[in-house]
Amino acid sequence: MKCLVSNHMIMLPSMFRGIWRAAVGNLRTRRTPARRLVSTCDGVQVGLADAETIFALSSGHGRCGVAVVRASGPASSTALRCMTRLTRNLPPPRKALLRSITDPQSKEVLDRGLVFWFPGSVPGMRPAEAGEFTRRAFQAGKLGLTEVEGLGDLIHAETEAQRRQALRQMSGDLGRLYQDWSHKLKRCLAHVEAFIDFSEDELIEDGVLNQVDTWVCDLQAEIERHLQDERRGERLRTGVQVVIAGAANAGKSSLLNTLCQRPAAIVSPIAGTTRDIVETALDIGGFPVLLSDTAGLRESPDLVEREGVRRARERVDQADLTLVVVDCAHLPSDAEQAATFLEGHLRSVLSPQEQPESVFPAERSLLVLNKTDLLPEEQRLELDWELRRVSGLPPVCHISCHTNEGLQDFLAVLHRSVKTLCGDPLSCAPTLTQARHRAHLQQCFAALAQYQRYRDIDLALAAEGVRLALTSLGRITGHVGAEEILDIIFKDFCIGK
Amino acid sequence: MLTKKPPALQSFLSLVSRHSSHLVRQQYDVIVVGGGHAGTEAAAAAARVGAETLLVSQKIETIGALSCNPSLGGVGKGQLVKEVDALDGLCGRAGDWAGIHFSILNRRKGPAVWGPRAQLDRQRYREFIQSELLSTPRLTVLEGSVEELFVSEPNPEEPGHHRVTGIRLANGSHPISASSVVLTTGTFLSGSLFMGQSKSPGGRIGDAPSSAGLSHTLRERLGLRTGRLRTGTPPRIVKDSVDLSLANVHPPDSHPTPFSFLNTHTHCKPEEQLPCYLTYTTPGVERVVRESLHLNCHIQEDAKGPRYCPSIESRVLRFPGRRHQVWLEPEGVTSDILYPQGLSMTMPPDVQLRLIREIPAMHRAEIHTPGYGVQYDFVCPTQLSPALQVKSTQGLFLAGQINGTTGYEEAAAQGLWAGVNAARCALSRPTVALSRTESYIGVLIDDLVSRGVTEPYRMFTSRAEFRTSLRPDNADLRLTLKGFEEVGCVSIVRYQEAVRVRDSLQDALATLQALALSTQNWRKKLPDMRMSEVKNSLLTGMDVLRYNDVSFEMLASAFPECLSHHMEFSQRLKIEAVYRPHCNLQKKEIERIQKEENMSLPQDINYLTLPVSLSHEVREILDRVRPTTLGAATRLQGMTPAAIIHLFNYVRRTGQKERRSHRNKPDQREERKSL
Repeated sequence: MKCLVSNHMIMLPSMFRGIWRAAVGNLRTRRTPARRLVSTCDGVQVGLADAETIFALSSGHGRCGVAVVRASGPASSTALRCMTRLTRNLPPPRKALLRSITDPQSKEVLDRGLVFWFPGSVPGMRPAEAGEFTRRAFQAGKLGLTEVEGLGDLIHAETEAQRRQALRQMSGDLGRLYQDWSHKLKRCLAHVEAFIDFSEDELIEDGVLNQVDTWVCDLQAEIERHLQDERRGERLRTGVQVVIAGAANAGKSSLLNTLCQRPAAIVSPIAGTTRDIVETALDIGGFPVLLSDTAGLRESPDLVEREGVRRARERVDQADLTLVVVDCAHLPSDAEQAATFLEGHLRSVLSPQEQPESVFPAERSLLVLNKTDLLPEEQRLELDWELRRVSGLPPVCHISCHTNEGLQDFLAVLHRSVKTLCGDPLSCAPTLTQARHRAHLQQCFAALAQYQRYRDIDLALAAEGVRLALTSLGRITGHVGAEEILDIIFKDFCIGK
Repeated sequence: MLTKKPPALQSFLSLVSRHSSHLVRQQYDVIVVGGGHAGTEAAAAAARVGAETLLVSQKIETIGALSCNPSLGGVGKGQLVKEVDALDGLCGRAGDWAGIHFSILNRRKGPAVWGPRAQLDRQRYREFIQSELLSTPRLTVLEGSVEELFVSEPNPEEPGHHRVTGIRLANGSHPISASSVVLTTGTFLSGSLFMGQSKSPGGRIGDAPSSAGLSHTLRERLGLRTGRLRTGTPPRIVKDSVDLSLANVHPPDSHPTPFSFLNTHTHCKPEEQLPCYLTYTTPGVERVVRESLHLNCHIQEDAKGPRYCPSIESRVLRFPGRRHQVWLEPEGVTSDILYPQGLSMTMPPDVQLRLIREIPAMHRAEIHTPGYGVQYDFVCPTQLSPALQVKSTQGLFLAGQINGTTGYEEAAAQGLWAGVNAARCALSRPTVALSRTESYIGVLIDDLVSRGVTEPYRMFTSRAEFRTSLRPDNADLRLTLKGFEEVGCVSIVRYQEAVRVRDSLQDALATLQALALSTQNWRKKLPDMRMSEVKNSLLTGMDVLRYNDVSFEMLASAFPECLSHHMEFSQRLKIEAVYRPHCNLQKKEIERIQKEENMSLPQDINYLTLPVSLSHEVREILDRVRPTTLGAATRLQGMTPAAIIHLFNYVRRTGQKERRSHRNKPDQREERKSL
């Protein structure tokens, strides 16, 4: 069951992604009306003037039998109407309504679910994410915004690595990093403002702006590096998306069942048994993994199976890590030919269909040679030796889902890959844990580009860029007022009348 | 406007009363106390709104006097002058009349932060202001010192503990009554003058101190919280004694730009403008300051001085080992005095002379009048409403330095707004507020009443969040229309001109927007323009005008038939084209703030016992400041986002309750009828 609550919806976990995408598409394409129902004063949202409609999977990924999707904001009623075909009226407030949930564009039915409508409950305002305790601590100034979010994660932490990251964020590593940036930005802005407000009358040293140029450049590079953490923090928070893909009957569903130690997916000797995505949540060495089994990739006259293949390809495109499963029995017996075959096969599975010639990301996949019990030992060694000569291949694992042979080695390799994707929460720089942070940091980064674009043309617009950057960052760290900027100006410069 | 010549000073003096017994009436709508920048704007604005107004000043001759520097405008301050002018105030036109050196500061930094500025002829400025007041209908000027402020029981239908009823002059027997009183006492409220080790009562050298009665009434009778601030002024230098060849000449703009939207040129001809001179302090200056510290009691006092207009003493003490700028500014066309900006000082006169002679250009300089320091009381402005009315006292308005600000422009802006509201209040119209999203005046007043001051407050462009929208070029569109339609302080002549400008600009912008050509065709039309090769789409005239190297003149010569008749606004159109996308981005944020400002907080709310989850600190801040709107509350220092949410919820809940009870009332009435 999933629950579209419009503010919200409930549906089968396997269906969740479709609804999610539909919701994303719907909300992104629909222009939010400029009209704003209410002003938000929540620190999280101070300055989020553009009354965006927000949506989120409120119930956490994987694992749960019931999913709650919540949408909030001025366009949520539109989203609700479009996705439940309630063209005339909204559902009665606060009452459950069973509806077919459809894609607003294709009108395709995604699932059936319960729909709730909560009209105008503090419209536009995000309810506190954490509990009363956190709110009070925050209010008393005991916790910063990022720390409060860290605490929320800690409450929901399912795995050891998630817990460590949450602890780390709460102790303020991420907060300190953002505060440090905020401090640097304040300094940049103060110096630009000093140049604007005082340089005509005062001795503002030459090169003040050159200094700002350097700071802005450095900051941009730093934020960019942070943003390019390959979603590690978010991944750790929401789970690494691992997709099992490969030809029909290669043993993909068996691999899923082996990994989750229960018959989650139906297995049979018949090719094309799995037609839809089967998802399960796993804990791999302390890291959260969301494992999906997909339909075997093959041309099929069967409409349902064709749709399954399309979904499988889509899922591979979005995956953090793809396990490409190959049936050893289908490999050419000549090792050299087998290596060439595998290379081609990987390309066909991993590369986007529209660009078949592109290079596939080897670090984002593992090659799993299944049914290794059917391969003579000698042939296997020869194949290994041959594969090592081919550069750019992902790690190769031999396993047998039938005898569990090679499973431990495979798990070790998988753990290593997942760990790399998440980053070690204790060893490296703090990673992004919230999609919201990412969005604000991207805005911040873009605003700094405005500074550079206008630096020599119009300093007021250039300063506006730095100010916007600071506002975006302020949505994570808290508001920065004009008085603070003036304080820095007077501290850093000798200003007279 | 400039065609009108101000009458001679003598005729002005003959037309005003020197004694209250000469007054035609003993009852006015509005009484303005003080004749400085705040007072003159307040009196003129109140009269424009339609109130019978009395301006009381200690000394008629000093009405419109420039007590300190002989200049107007600058970065941030220039915006205020433009806005006061857009609301039909005096200082912009007075500046155009009295200016002898015009320049636009920040010319290379973008039109949003241009700072129109002028050096002024002190005498001309005073004459213009006095002549304007004289020709203002419904305005009477009276010389006198206010001894007492009369207050009585409040009007029970409005908030407040007192109501102002009039004033009594020091020498006058009869009280003069009024519905509104605007106090613009400048530095005279418990003012003391400092020079060396001597200290004497007063607000300006050469003028009598104001009576202690007023400040007593404010503190004791009305219970207003006051604080103490300090400021200072430099010695004036005899021009002939300065070796100007040792200073750098700073010429004015070759084409002076007038402040006022009504003026196309300034009174002073471009070639008749006078230059300024720039020179620097030397290590000798620092030595003299250090050696004379024990003789300087002003600098030892702990009243708060401004960080941005410090005396030379605090400059060298705070930033030792540096050279500091000293501007030598002319005081007038015929004046033989120079004003050394940057050399405000309070040491004994003989030490002042030693100090200035450490500067090469002034090594033989003579002092005309020594510099001195002033300390004065101000009323903590958080006790005011956005209409600049004292919250606890109906009909009492404050403007200028009494609110903790510094600067002519800041005073003029508040004076105008206080005068407008004093008049509206007296005429039983609702008071009005300007939003910080639409004007620098709004920023100024909002900062004062919602944050208070800890040092003399001066305007900077960085205080205005929406600086890109609040530009000097568009002050008329932002304020003149509203000033006529909603406020009532703008004359029909100025209004019609603003309407013409608005319509022409809209017309021209629409024409530019409709002018869509392919990149190739643009290149053919404007061969000099550098346009990136890849673009092959349609570009409008607005798009093209945004290019750095394209001017409206270029477009007008390429399309004379549809654009040449808009040449009058070529500069404004260029600025509009460049800024419009950025202003559009700001619009949502502006709407958010305006919503919050529209959400008023009840003034009788008891924050200390309010049944919502608020921390002690927040309760105290709210109780002290008593913000009038949720918007003002969000900008308070020390407010937490969570507190704002609780406050918001509380206000919303109580608002709903009230609405519900309003809805119920007619029902009850109907019930009674049916009975």
